[in-house]
Amino acid sequence: MQESEIIGQLRDWILERAGAASDRLTDNEMPILDEGLLSSLDIVEFILFIESLREEEVDIENIEPEVFTNLRTLYDAFFADKSQVIAS
Amino acid sequence: MATAEELAPRLSEASVNKIWDVYSAFDWPDTLEPSAEWYMSPELISIYGTDIYNALSEAEQKTLSFYEVTNFFSFVLYGERPLIEGLMHRMYRKATLGVITDYLHHFVDEENKHMIMFGDFCNRYAGKVYPEKKLVLPREWAKGEEDVAFFCKVLIVEELGDYYNLIMMSDKTINPLVSKINRVHHIDEARHLAFGRAYLTELFHATRNHWSEEEMTSFQTWLANYLASCWGDFYNPTVYKDAGLKDGYGIRKMALQHDACKQMRERASKKVVNYFLEVGLLSETPAL
Repeated sequence: MQESEIIGQLRDWILERAGAASDRLTDNEMPILDEGLLSSLDIVEFILFIESLREEEVDIENIEPEVFTNLRTLYDAFFADKSQVIAS
Repeated sequence: MATAEELAPRLSEASVNKIWDVYSAFDWPDTLEPSAEWYMSPELISIYGTDIYNALSEAEQKTLSFYEVTNFFSFVLYGERPLIEGLMHRMYRKATLGVITDYLHHFVDEENKHMIMFGDFCNRYAGKVYPEKKLVLPREWAKGEEDVAFFCKVLIVEELGDYYNLIMMSDKTINPLVSKINRVHHIDEARHLAFGRAYLTELFHATRNHWSEEEMTSFQTWLANYLASCWGDFYNPTVYKDAGLKDGYGIRKMALQHDACKQMRERASKKVVNYFLEVGLLSETPAL
């Protein structure tokens, strides 16, 4: 999958989960946590969705909350350099 | 209903009388063969009653039951970890000094033994504890809200776990070691639940007066969502994959929507939901 396609899927998932309008995430640097689009209770479901896209498990112990700052940080952490968060 | 202060000494005495040694309580077989027997009562398997489950052979269903019970022990273990941390943090406070702290020592001791017991089973027979995927993001709390939320989380992990314990400890068709682990867990949990309900009721009634209507509504919304999110632990894509099923994530999504699975969640949650409604921690039955 291309970067734009992955980011698009992440965006769609977050907006649907939050029940938010599409203008809440019009670019990849718009804040996700600060805007309240994700909470702790959404993280498990979101991680499992990310794993289904990556087709690989995520090691949550290597994840800092900052990873969820925006779509760019999500893509970089989970897809650009997957070695950072692959479960052993 | 007895107060937590009245209950705590009686529970401490019972803990002393029923003390057990986690290192000698069980005879651990060298190996377990997943497809050879049931490890979880079939009706508790996360996809029981669905077409995917019905299409499996009995050996495949038994294999799935092995990974399901390993997952159950794993997430209860992970639920007990922050519980112990939170209980330790609340000992020897002004509000808990004396008999309450005395009982919290037993509570922590027993939870620690449960973690050892569950971890031992998972590592011996599955070669792993299924990792949790939770990440706690920072948030703001109203006055006293974090303590109330903590004891709600304690009650949820214990009430849901106990529903499963009660069925498996009496099920003579499942592996006897699994049945015994459930029995041992239930005996301790019965005391923890009695204490938890009494303590949370008093804590909530003392705390809610400090909350605005908006804060109360926000808490009730959080609690309903938290309970629903806890059920996500039961539908682990890696479990389905380990049991040889394809598209674990798809199976999870199917099960979360399936009527049979939803009815199971409602049955298992009934006791804790009724308690929350009775006390006022919830204002309506949450969608599960």
